[in-house]
Amino acid sequence: MSGAADMNRNRAVNWALLAYIFLAYAFVFAPIAASFVFSFNSDRFPSIPLGEFTLDWYRAVATDPLVWDGARNTLVVGVVVGIISTVMGFGAAYTDYRYRFAGKQVYLALALLPPTIPVIILGLAMLAYLSRINLSGNALSVIISHVVVCAPFAMAIVRLRLSQMDPALEPAAWNLGASEWMAMRHVIVPFCAPAIFGALFITMAVSFDEFAVAWFVSGLNETLPVKVLGFLQGQVSPRINAIGTFVFILSMTLVILAQLLLSGRSAKTADKE
Amino acid sequence: MSRDTLVSFDGVVKRFGSFVAVQKLDFEIRKGEFLAIMGSSGCGKTTTLRMLAGLEAPTEGVIKLSGKPINDLPTWSRDTPMVWQSLALFPFLNVRENVEFALKMRGVGKAERRRRAEQWLDRMQIAEFAERNISQLSGGQRQRVALARSLVVEPEILLLDEPLSALDAALKVRMQSVLKNLQRETGITFVYVTHSQSEAFSMADRVVIMSRGVIEQIGTPQEIYRTPGTRFVAEFLGSSNIFQGRLVPGDGGGAALDTPLGRFETGADATARLGTTATMTVLDTKTHLAAARPAHARNVLPVRMIGEEFVGATATIYLEAAGGQEIRVQKGHDELSDIPLEIGRELFVYWEPGDAHVISEA
Amino acid sequence: MRRSISLYSLTFSLPLLIWQVLFFVFPLLFLIALSFWTVRNFVMSPDFDPVNWTTMYGRAVFWQAYGTTLALAAAAAALTSILAFPAAYAIAFKLSDTARRWAIFLMVIPFFTSYLVRVYSWQIFLSDNGIINVILGWLGLGPFTMLNTVGATMVGYLTLGFPLVVLLQLFSLIFIDRTLIEAAHNLRCGRLRTVFEVVIPSARTGLVIAALFSFILSFGDFVSPVYLGGGEPTTLSILITDTTKSGQQWPRAAVVALTMIGTLMIVAFGAIKFAYRGKST
Repeated sequence: MSGAADMNRNRAVNWALLAYIFLAYAFVFAPIAASFVFSFNSDRFPSIPLGEFTLDWYRAVATDPLVWDGARNTLVVGVVVGIISTVMGFGAAYTDYRYRFAGKQVYLALALLPPTIPVIILGLAMLAYLSRINLSGNALSVIISHVVVCAPFAMAIVRLRLSQMDPALEPAAWNLGASEWMAMRHVIVPFCAPAIFGALFITMAVSFDEFAVAWFVSGLNETLPVKVLGFLQGQVSPRINAIGTFVFILSMTLVILAQLLLSGRSAKTADKE
Repeated sequence: MSRDTLVSFDGVVKRFGSFVAVQKLDFEIRKGEFLAIMGSSGCGKTTTLRMLAGLEAPTEGVIKLSGKPINDLPTWSRDTPMVWQSLALFPFLNVRENVEFALKMRGVGKAERRRRAEQWLDRMQIAEFAERNISQLSGGQRQRVALARSLVVEPEILLLDEPLSALDAALKVRMQSVLKNLQRETGITFVYVTHSQSEAFSMADRVVIMSRGVIEQIGTPQEIYRTPGTRFVAEFLGSSNIFQGRLVPGDGGGAALDTPLGRFETGADATARLGTTATMTVLDTKTHLAAARPAHARNVLPVRMIGEEFVGATATIYLEAAGGQEIRVQKGHDELSDIPLEIGRELFVYWEPGDAHVISEA
Repeated sequence: MRRSISLYSLTFSLPLLIWQVLFFVFPLLFLIALSFWTVRNFVMSPDFDPVNWTTMYGRAVFWQAYGTTLALAAAAAALTSILAFPAAYAIAFKLSDTARRWAIFLMVIPFFTSYLVRVYSWQIFLSDNGIINVILGWLGLGPFTMLNTVGATMVGYLTLGFPLVVLLQLFSLIFIDRTLIEAAHNLRCGRLRTVFEVVIPSARTGLVIAALFSFILSFGDFVSPVYLGGGEPTTLSILITDTTKSGQQWPRAAVVALTMIGTLMIVAFGAIKFAYRGKST
């Protein structure tokens, strides 16, 4: 970062690069910020100059029973998906950490590939398949398909944490008289605790946002993102900004919580070495 | 098997796939001894320790603890606690909880657990850190926690896998005496795996030297140092000059060794092996240096000086004999004051026949 | 020492395996079967008839959509990579450790905001009376039609891929041995030349993988082409939704979906092969 390279730095180029970083973030955050600002704006067709400050859109959203249904479904689906994904993702991460076996490559591919398949294809395949086995059109089918997409995230997060663990830690517990199950309970789980909570929150957040699969798979039990899609398809309404801002704040709360858990603990154990 | 045998390895072999980590181990560990297993990396010393701990299963052979085979006993059912190279302290538990861990796993009640942990915290002088996190401890304090954590169950045997390798030199020496005293006071059998000669020789009652999955020699540090059992041991220790030749009848009582560098008298009685090829070692501290050919000495070798090295009050002089064989002489500075130490200088080394050791291997 | 197969190991390994086989592998396999089913009078029936394949592959509109999607996704991958690189480079080499951590954290935030909401937000910027046209109007320019154009679709693809590409590029740049760069400077390799001769080749794997992700995301996306591009030109994802909605033509949608998966696999395989070319591992 410093030293001899400093001499070769050209100030103008540095300023240009810093300005470019600023532009990049402006591009990324412009839609997020606009959504936030216009959720408080009175105009029916949002643009500048801004109209008056209003909470109408929030009121409209809050009084729409359909939105509340959607929100409830989103929340229930998100929590259930988060728990199932985290539990199964943890199991797969531990399997990858602990065992070597024939076909492990295939196992890992199955565990990690789903998020790389375009959601529209996944949605189509899910709906066709789930309706075939009489599961389509209810919250259960949404949960099933969300777990397929979310579990890989949980697995990746827990696996990362396990790779920070001293490989002698688990054998040390066995050596001190802990059976495999006891070592799991008293060593592996406590060590992974921050990652487990992190995975829980992040999979919930992913589930909140995963609209396409839900759109295809869910019938009447629409989740909030599906509702948003409905607004988009119908009339343009700033209500979507209100919902978006609300979901954003909820998701960010979860993510920041996860971040605090993950970084707080790893910082504590990092200075051990 | 004698009465004071605690552990015995009978024909133990360990293979990982096609790789043979340990081939045919037969040895015993005595009750209450401090045994060091020493060798370079990959020699099978850690695998041996892990088999004893139950972390690896022997491919062949039987390991017995107090006369009972333990091959099928999982590690959590054995009382063979281990101190790990990385120490493997639980970072999410504080010092006291780390020490109590083994008791908790054995279902010991809370009050009893605390009482027994307290004893070892006191004994290891870490009671004041009991509520601290592991990350807040120094290297030496962590060593003590690791020891307390393993010893709290008051086992018959303690396994140590290079526990001092992460410490700086001064702390290492201090911890060596802590370990040695602890072993003496408790009478617990210590099995200490290391690649460091100084650690093994300064602490152990007996040393096992391994190479490529085979035991090269077992003996007290003195025995191994003075009379290396194999050429490998002599080379590994690096403290002897090594000569190879044919055993012939000597002028005195012992045999002589016919080497390309000349005939050397030894004090050894090797009547049975006359005519065979043998290896002779002479400690570099017992190899003497002279500016002119010493008249009275029986084993003299003309050499040329090629280098010198000073560590503290000791000097090591590197010399070369005919044919390029390297000879080392180690002396105090004052013993060398009469000798002109210049690179390239022609000098003479000599030694007493009684200081020459003929390796007993065939 | 313990055997791999025990109640303990299966408890942890099996659940996800079973789940992904049941609900990921089977649906995709079912999609293959479905593509051979036939539809008569809006009723699907199991069959083994290649008619859906021949019908879809015989249509000009399908191949137009295929070409459009391929071109758009490739353009998005290239554009996103080119636009992201200076940002990733600057974050990797010009920021302090603390600033870089913050930059990474900020770049992660978009992943947790609804993509749909962000796309809707772009409508506010791009529409005829939108923010950009108003600003241009103050300068006496415009108005320009921006919404419902290919350009708007591209803005959507950028929204989708840009943060991920920056992060992936950033992680591959961070791990470049800095002494390599100093060595290059020391050998009188100029700044820009160092970027092209040392930095980009060193980070090639990461850069290619990042572009691949941008391609995959854009190739399958249907939100941007519909809500920013106005549904014109038709992409494969739009074709899927249209085919599904019109008269139970699920088998034909399956043909499109499978063609997309096949294309993605070929592209991914080629990209990964290129990314790791000349590397031993």
